[in-house]
Amino acid sequence: MLVLLDQQDRYGYELVQKISNQISISEGSVYPLLRRLTKEGYFTTYLKESTEGPSRKYYQLTNTGRIYLHKLLQEWKDFTYGVNELIKEGVKDD
Amino acid sequence: MTKEQFLNSLDTALRKLPKEDREEIKQDFMEHFLMGEAEGKSEKEIIAALGSPQQIGKEMAANYYVDQMETQITPGSIFKAIWAIIGLGFFNLVIVLGPLIGILGILLGGWVAGMAFVLSPLLVLVNVFVYPGSFEFFDLFVATGLSGLGIFISIGMYFATKAIIFGLIRYLKFNISLVKGGLNA
Repeated sequence: MLVLLDQQDRYGYELVQKISNQISISEGSVYPLLRRLTKEGYFTTYLKESTEGPSRKYYQLTNTGRIYLHKLLQEWKDFTYGVNELIKEGVKDD
Repeated sequence: MTKEQFLNSLDTALRKLPKEDREEIKQDFMEHFLMGEAEGKSEKEIIAALGSPQQIGKEMAANYYVDQMETQITPGSIFKAIWAIIGLGFFNLVIVLGPLIGILGILLGGWVAGMAFVLSPLLVLVNVFVYPGSFEFFDLFVATGLSGLGIFISIGMYFATKAIIFGLIRYLKFNISLVKGGLNA
């Protein structure tokens, strides 16, 4: 979710679709997560009128959110690097 | 289930939350329905993809209680947060309740030991009243020493309790973000 908002602001429905396309999670569970991250101060929200249909609630990454994102990305890289190394060694041994 | 039924059961699941939060959440889901319909999806499809409103409500409520606990640490607020998270599923029952009982046991034991040590000079006095003539300075010295030790233990327990509550908040938050309800494979 943090990654999706890094380059551009998005509205709730768009985020939900992007996530549920890639990860098998029920769409409804994305909203509690959005609220949680907003309350933690990682996102701010604003309403914007759209040309078609109702006004949409947009989510924007805050500075705190960006710092948090980079921390998580680094952790993820370290973790996957470790796992990949283990797999490489394991496969060689076989 | 229709859109109205979905929103109603979600609202019922959220009845413990402040009105503001409930309105906001309802607004988010109404937006979701409108956008889905604009894409040509039927109410049924949208609801099926969203999952159970009760589960969503539980997750929202757990979020809320953990925030409440953070702003106001009382036995009541802690209990509500733990209860809400345990309610999310069996998995949480195991990984939250298990460690919690263990930690509470250790805390309780520490406090009881500390308090008992602090109060040990009183026991010497009680002893003197019950068996006059049995007074020995040795007992009093030992008891005073224990009392001092008890004060140190109590101070230590005070900081340990604070640290554990802080850790508990972090652990509960981690739990919410971990399970995130209903992976629907």
